[in-house]
Amino acid sequence: MAYASGYFKTDYAMELRLIETRWQKVSAAVLVLALGVFPLISPQVAIGIANQVFIAIVGAAALMLLTGYAGQISLGHAGLLAAGALTTGVLFKELGATFWVTLPASAVVGGLLGLVFGLPSLRLKGLYLAITTLALHFVVAFVGGEYETRRGFSTGILISPPAIGGFALQEQQHWYYVLLAIAVAAMLFCINLLRTRTGRALMAIRDHDIVAESLGIPVRRYKLLIFVVSSTMTSVAGCLLAYYRGFVSIEAFSLYLTIDYVAMVIIGGLGSMLGAVLGALFVITFPYVIEGLLRVLPIPAGIANEMFAINYAAFGLVMILFLVFEPLGLVGIWRRVRNYFLLWPYRQTAVGGGGG
Amino acid sequence: MAEASDDRPLLQLAGVHLHFGGLVVLNGISLDLQRGELLALIGPNGAGKTSVLNCISLLYRPTQGRIVFEGEDLAGLSPHGVARRGIARTFQLGGLFPHLTVLQNLLVGRHAHFSSNVVLDGVFWGRARANEIAQRAAAEEIIEFFELERHRGELVSKLPFGVQKIVGFARALAMEPRLLLLDEPSAGLNREAREDLSRFILRIKHEKGIGMIWVEHDMQMVADLADRIYVMDYGAHIADGEPRQILADPRVVEIYLGSKGN
Repeated sequence: MAYASGYFKTDYAMELRLIETRWQKVSAAVLVLALGVFPLISPQVAIGIANQVFIAIVGAAALMLLTGYAGQISLGHAGLLAAGALTTGVLFKELGATFWVTLPASAVVGGLLGLVFGLPSLRLKGLYLAITTLALHFVVAFVGGEYETRRGFSTGILISPPAIGGFALQEQQHWYYVLLAIAVAAMLFCINLLRTRTGRALMAIRDHDIVAESLGIPVRRYKLLIFVVSSTMTSVAGCLLAYYRGFVSIEAFSLYLTIDYVAMVIIGGLGSMLGAVLGALFVITFPYVIEGLLRVLPIPAGIANEMFAINYAAFGLVMILFLVFEPLGLVGIWRRVRNYFLLWPYRQTAVGGGGG
Repeated sequence: MAEASDDRPLLQLAGVHLHFGGLVVLNGISLDLQRGELLALIGPNGAGKTSVLNCISLLYRPTQGRIVFEGEDLAGLSPHGVARRGIARTFQLGGLFPHLTVLQNLLVGRHAHFSSNVVLDGVFWGRARANEIAQRAAAEEIIEFFELERHRGELVSKLPFGVQKIVGFARALAMEPRLLLLDEPSAGLNREAREDLSRFILRIKHEKGIGMIWVEHDMQMVADLADRIYVMDYGAHIADGEPRQILADPRVVEIYLGSKGN
């Protein structure tokens, strides 16, 4: 047979492939190439933004697992990032620990915090749970603040770049490849988790916890598990953030940061890992876009000094617009656009749905 | 499992009481279910039929009384522990996971049959992958049994209610239980769907030998299918026995149709 007329699945293993058709293989290859070439042809600023996006992807994916898939609302995200960054800072400053010590240590601290602050989820849901996770934020902020003042680091802790195999990570370009690899690994971990039993159990708990329990899923164990997994990932992101910035200050981890991450999963699209990526990309680049706009548009200098306020006002507006007009987030828009081109020249509108 | 003691009942309820504060929901329910027996549980609305099922699956804790499944008292277990012992159930409104596909819903039902863990799942390696393939094959058998092939990949929320009920039934059977609790499986179904349902119930009874407690309002179905009927009213036992004898019982007729005096 010269040509295959289509793509046929002949066993269940084929159903499990992430990349199936030749077209998908080509797209994946193009994507890998583009990501690989990007730092070679882009200005330093763009590479720096990309690096921030990669770290944010790890954090956003963790929150997406917890909130988007397991249905557990958390407002402790900045606290967990801070815990990772602080663990890194303290171990580096006090013991001179290397990257290979601080990274696992941050993961362990994050996991333990997740376990403790996951406990209320066994009894509470929704907003009540959100309030208890807020406590996590303030506990970490308090401990961090106390440490910084008592030890006289009130301006923050300086951290020297991590050495990986005797090679110090300093250049933005080098960071880019390391962070890209970590972000891809985090994404693959989440995608795998979601297409196996663990992920289905989480979604079952999100949709109907009592039914999930009566189907033999130990709901409480899974709730704690996802808090631990998510917190561990977030704390690792915090550790990376500390090294990448070369600086840890507890003030950098305010509630605004939590809002940023909640915005990532909402704007990206709850219940989609692609949404976590798009959301991270959107939220991280947003202030740069606003800043660029302000520079281009003829706006009085006085207003341009209020960047922070303008940023958050615009941000709030975008959030509201998304919640009202596109609750499925950027992923919803992406799916519509894709379907439009897949079906073109036919309209995607349902039968009898009218024109437009 | 325990083939040696096959003569003892599959499930025994002995003097089960359920109180919510001052409200008496179940007032001393006792019943035995044999292996492979299809027991219909009937009674007017609010009689406590669903509460009996909820007590067996431990969603409610009986205030008093014992529930023994295959010789084991369920009192010390958790709801998921009960499910893992081999008791599956359906829910009146389906109780499906709306954002999952039919296939995923069935795979959730097979949760306890997997042996992977979170780390293996995350790297999709070894047992995790082998489990996915093996359990998929098992879920396909259930899909075939319930003739759900064409709905396999659809989101449950997009399916008509009648199909959703069948998916709920299929998900319970995917657990490979030895006792199946059916909570009004026919409610909201049209005649054709009810005939399908009757066929599935009979096939499960004859081919798989699973004991069933079946809460039902459709008396025609009950009369045709059930081995035995257990009648409840106001949380208490009224009568039990052969379908023909029970449906002719004046006490049962009175509960369902009111007394002749009116």
